[in-house]
Amino acid sequence: MTKNLLHTTLSVYLLYSLLILLIAAPVLYFATQQLYLQEADDTLLLHKKEFIQYVAPTMDKEDIGAWNKFNRNRKIYPAESLQNDSIYNTTYYDTLDAELEPYRELKASVTIQDRIYTYTSKINLVESEDIIKSIGLLFFITISVLLAGLFFITKRLSLSLWKPFYKILQQIETFEIDKTQTLQFTPGRIEEFNRLRISIQKLIERNTSIYATQKEFIENAAHELQTPLAVFQAKIDSLMQRTDVTQGQSEILDSLNTAVARFNRLNKNLLLLSKMENAVYSDKITISLTNYIHKNLDFFKEQANAKNIHIKIDIEKNMGIKLNPILADILISNLFLNAIKHNIQDGEIIISAKKGNLKFSNSGQAMPLKQEHLFNRFSKVNPSEDGTGLGLSIIKKIADINHFKVSYHYTSNLHSFTITF
Amino acid sequence: MKLLLIEDEKELALSIQKYLTHKDFVCEWVYKKQDAIEKISMYEYDCILLDLMLPDGNGFEILKEIKDQNKSEGIIIISAKETLETKIEGFRIGADDYLTKPFHLSELLVRIQALIRRKNFNGNNIVVFNEINIDILSKTVRVNNKLIDTTKKEIDLLLYLIGNENRVLSKSAIAEHLSGDMADMLDNHDFVYAHIKNLKKKLNEAGSRDYIKSVYGLGYKWKND
Repeated sequence: MTKNLLHTTLSVYLLYSLLILLIAAPVLYFATQQLYLQEADDTLLLHKKEFIQYVAPTMDKEDIGAWNKFNRNRKIYPAESLQNDSIYNTTYYDTLDAELEPYRELKASVTIQDRIYTYTSKINLVESEDIIKSIGLLFFITISVLLAGLFFITKRLSLSLWKPFYKILQQIETFEIDKTQTLQFTPGRIEEFNRLRISIQKLIERNTSIYATQKEFIENAAHELQTPLAVFQAKIDSLMQRTDVTQGQSEILDSLNTAVARFNRLNKNLLLLSKMENAVYSDKITISLTNYIHKNLDFFKEQANAKNIHIKIDIEKNMGIKLNPILADILISNLFLNAIKHNIQDGEIIISAKKGNLKFSNSGQAMPLKQEHLFNRFSKVNPSEDGTGLGLSIIKKIADINHFKVSYHYTSNLHSFTITF
Repeated sequence: MKLLLIEDEKELALSIQKYLTHKDFVCEWVYKKQDAIEKISMYEYDCILLDLMLPDGNGFEILKEIKDQNKSEGIIIISAKETLETKIEGFRIGADDYLTKPFHLSELLVRIQALIRRKNFNGNNIVVFNEINIDILSKTVRVNNKLIDTTKKEIDLLLYLIGNENRVLSKSAIAEHLSGDMADMLDNHDFVYAHIKNLKKKLNEAGSRDYIKSVYGLGYKWKND
């Protein structure tokens, strides 16, 4: 699956951001918690230091009861022996909130009037949880806003940054080498795009010029061939008039005649294709397809008679299309002759013209034609036949330059060529 | 009949000249514009065959010269230029017909005959061959003064055959003559046989002699025995 440029950039950004968020959230949580515990421990130790330094020397045994009474978080109990300081987490039941609450507690040994006591000091950690939560939320909000902003800015920036690119892309997509059009690229601010533009411009210019040269060559070649062809034809015609031509020579002459006729047709059709490519037949008028089919019907019936082909016609009255009249004649004739040429003895041709479709169906070989190169120049179904191999490409060319559609179907033993106007 | 052929391709010119020089036709040949203009101003011709691309100029200039001199010769342009614009320009300046190269010599001959007929016989355009009488304007054929039923194509074929009397006509030449603009697309000439057969039958039934001969391997010939 392909994605567009912007989409890809943004989804990579999004993925990265989510990953960072996922990793950062627990790390941040633990780090904050650790920091808070550190803070609590420091406070507890400071309190203890303060107690040992300032309170313990002034206390005597009787004060302990009062101390414990008025200090909720710091207690003194009698102890057996000296112990090292220990700090740990614990929970106490809070009678006010009626729930267990987490505490950080310090247990240390102190000496009051030469007796050993255990000193405990605790800090409620409920506040710390609240703070961590608040920090977490703030962090989440900040990150989200940052991401959204980043997303938005990237999108806006990319759109405007890539705008020339999309413009170039659109121009290339609509470019057709056989149309006489030039691509006009406007230079922009971004160096890479300008380079792209210049490269494409050069590429197109080079290709257009090669195409033009080739087109010109075909036209010139076809043109230049006409004079020697005329001499060839005239010489054969003259030779045929000689009375001393033997039977064997007659046969050779006949083959030459057929070959020169075919040569002539090929040349004319190549010229026709070249002329169409040079937009010679570009002026169109609205013509009645019906009239154009009927106009030469006698001629085609005559051709079809040789194979005893039955022609069935089913056309709408006054089906009008916009087309050059010369091309209309050529189109219909080629469709007709194609249907006759590839037909079988006692075959049939069905011509239907309705709803913007012109369809020529004919009986013929009992398998569908290969679609692949069907409309290419000189692509022949049967290479040995003496057609020019240009008929279908002429039909295609006429359709192309007038933006019609040509399609081929094979159903119930009929080969159909449909032109959609 | 006097013809002037203006054509710079020597081999083609020789073939045309040979084919046309026959019976009452005389064909002179020049290959330069200057020679052509000289000849035209000195002599009268029935028909001028004009190539457009000449070594020392354009055929259109000769055409203009002929018109400037108020000459009434029939003019047929024979050229490799096949664009509609060139043809229209040719007719606009005053050509009577336009034949694109390559062409069959038989086609050129019947075009010349048709042009001369149009020029010479005012409103009375009739071709007679022994017992056969063809009225071109009313498109009717009479054999021994009896009207026979023929199609437009058959009259066309008949004129073509008679016009090329004693010359061998190939099937492709006949096919191209009969199919006109369609000739460039046609690659099957079998229909010629059917037309010849029909025409032959109709003429024979009306009592005409059999002038249409098959020439083995080549085509047909109109021959007056």
